Amino acid sequence: MYASESARAASASEARYRITVPIAPARAARVIALDARAAAVTRRVAGGPWANARFYTCEVTRGAGGSNEPAGEVPLYGLDGSPAALGDVLNGTDVVVVLATDDSGRAYAAAIGRACSASAITTAGVVLGDGFEAEDAVAALRPHARVLLLSADESDVFELLTALRV
Amino acid sequence: MLRQDINELLTQTGPGTPMGDLFRQYWIPALLAEELPEKDSPPVRVKLLSERMLAFRDSEGRYGLVDEFCAHRGASLWFGRNEGSGLRCAYHGWKYDVTGQCVEVPSEADNSSFCQNVKLTAYPLVRVGDVLWTYMGDPAKQPGLPEFEFAHVPPEQTYTSKRWQQCNWLQAFEGGIDSSHVTFLHSGGLKNDPLFKGAKGNEYNMKDTKPFFEVADSEGGLFVGARRNAEEGSYYWRITPWVMPAFTMVPPRGDHPVHGHFWVPIDDENCWTYSFDYHPVRPLTTAERQAMIDGHGVHSKNIPGTYRPAANMDNDYLMDREAQKRGDTYSGVAGIAMQDASLQESMGPIVDRTKERLVPADSGIIKARQKLRKAAIALRDEGVTPPGVNPAHHRVRSAAVVLPQAESFLDSCRDAVTAIPGVPQSSV
Ligand code: FES
Ligand SMILES: [Fe+2]
Repeated sequence: MYASESARAASASEARYRITVPIAPARAARVIALDARAAAVTRRVAGGPWANARFYTCEVTRGAGGSNEPAGEVPLYGLDGSPAALGDVLNGTDVVVVLATDDSGRAYAAAIGRACSASAITTAGVVLGDGFEAEDAVAALRPHARVLLLSADESDVFELLTALRV
Repeated sequence: MLRQDINELLTQTGPGTPMGDLFRQYWIPALLAEELPEKDSPPVRVKLLSERMLAFRDSEGRYGLVDEFCAHRGASLWFGRNEGSGLRCAYHGWKYDVTGQCVEVPSEADNSSFCQNVKLTAYPLVRVGDVLWTYMGDPAKQPGLPEFEFAHVPPEQTYTSKRWQQCNWLQAFEGGIDSSHVTFLHSGGLKNDPLFKGAKGNEYNMKDTKPFFEVADSEGGLFVGARRNAEEGSYYWRITPWVMPAFTMVPPRGDHPVHGHFWVPIDDENCWTYSFDYHPVRPLTTAERQAMIDGHGVHSKNIPGTYRPAANMDNDYLMDREAQKRGDTYSGVAGIAMQDASLQESMGPIVDRTKERLVPADSGIIKARQKLRKAAIALRDEGVTPPGVNPAHHRVRSAAVVLPQAESFLDSCRDAVTAIPGVPQSSV
């Protein structure tokens, strides 16, 4: 007999009796790039092994046929260049990851943040670069983003999405 | 979640492993100075990074950290006689000095040169503050000594304890940068603990249980800022620094001493948690020091004569369901230190990170793992010296501040998160 339940339960040999069930991807994530450099990162990340994540930019993908302006205050496009309305993009999602590298998308940041807050969608912001070029975008995201990752490292986006099982 | 191969990379610190090599770039705590109080003190067994060693102090007071086992036939030198400027194996009398050099093999002829060729593996052991530090890496790359503030303020301003934690170092360390558990697990401590209670900041902590986070690189690691609502138009920020690989600080509360931890792998299933408390500008009061000795704050009450907590795995951490019901403690376990340790140990010796469901609020942990992995791989593949080796990276502090909502904690708190001798901590 063991002296206590804790000693027993936390042993290495007991670990193999833990219930194992496959963990379904927990989150339907949307990743939104606010500016041109962020869009380039998003295109690279979008090639990853994601289950439910969808990727958008706030400008038209070069060469694609996105000639129509999307409705609303945030001009969103899918990576194929098709326009999308923010409301539709947020529909059915529970986490939005916003990417910024400079201040050009600050107005979008505020609008996306507000829309996510209003719909109780958890928002995470990843700001790439030394941060100073994106001060206003950070300030616009701050009230809404549960977490802001101020990062010099583009792979943080990949790591964050992997960790969140999107 | 984390892939299994990455989990193994980060949790294995034995000789020849990438993470083990990373730890061997740094000075790390090996013992408390109190464990070798005087010349010819009894030797102490020390296991670090899965290597078994023996620490001793010779007749001149010099510190040594050497292979635990005698080069002759492998008996433990712990039984040895520490006398006459060396440690003599109790079995056949071979004698070693603090550098591990064999200085006498009694069975050989007097003046034989045989013993000159016998040397135990040995690492430097140096006192800085109340801690004896060692460096287990390539002697040619040995960095400058640690400059963490807790080890450099005058002795009357600082106190360090340690406790054995029965789990891998990484899950213990992750608790150190996980600001979102405080309002739950430690809520009792914010009200009752003599080293925590009474600070204005505690009210913000308790009122707003859904903090927002900002995670930013620092030269030596990360700053993790946790933000809660304060008065209209302002935020209460708690800023936790991490210096790689395993030094974290807790944001201060009022004028209480500032505290933090060093998480040191013993082997892959055990670690030492060093817990320190210091005040940058004044001596600790008698009451504060006594509270620390009694195991309050981040310290633990240990079984006398050992560094094992009195509340431990073998007695269900002295679980008190009544106290839990009353709300004196959140989990039924008493004391901040054991509240953390009990849950971290409950995960198992090495938690299976493939099964986690992390949330954006866990971003500090996500980022820290990534930095560790990148540093270990850059070291292995390109020999890159990792962040935190440079002693200048050690001069950081935690901070707790109230800022206008529009301000970024990083811009506003550069000084607050820098350890400047003679300058008080920034604390609410
Ligand atoms: S709520 Fe975090 S481990 Fe259970
Ligand atoms: Fe804790």
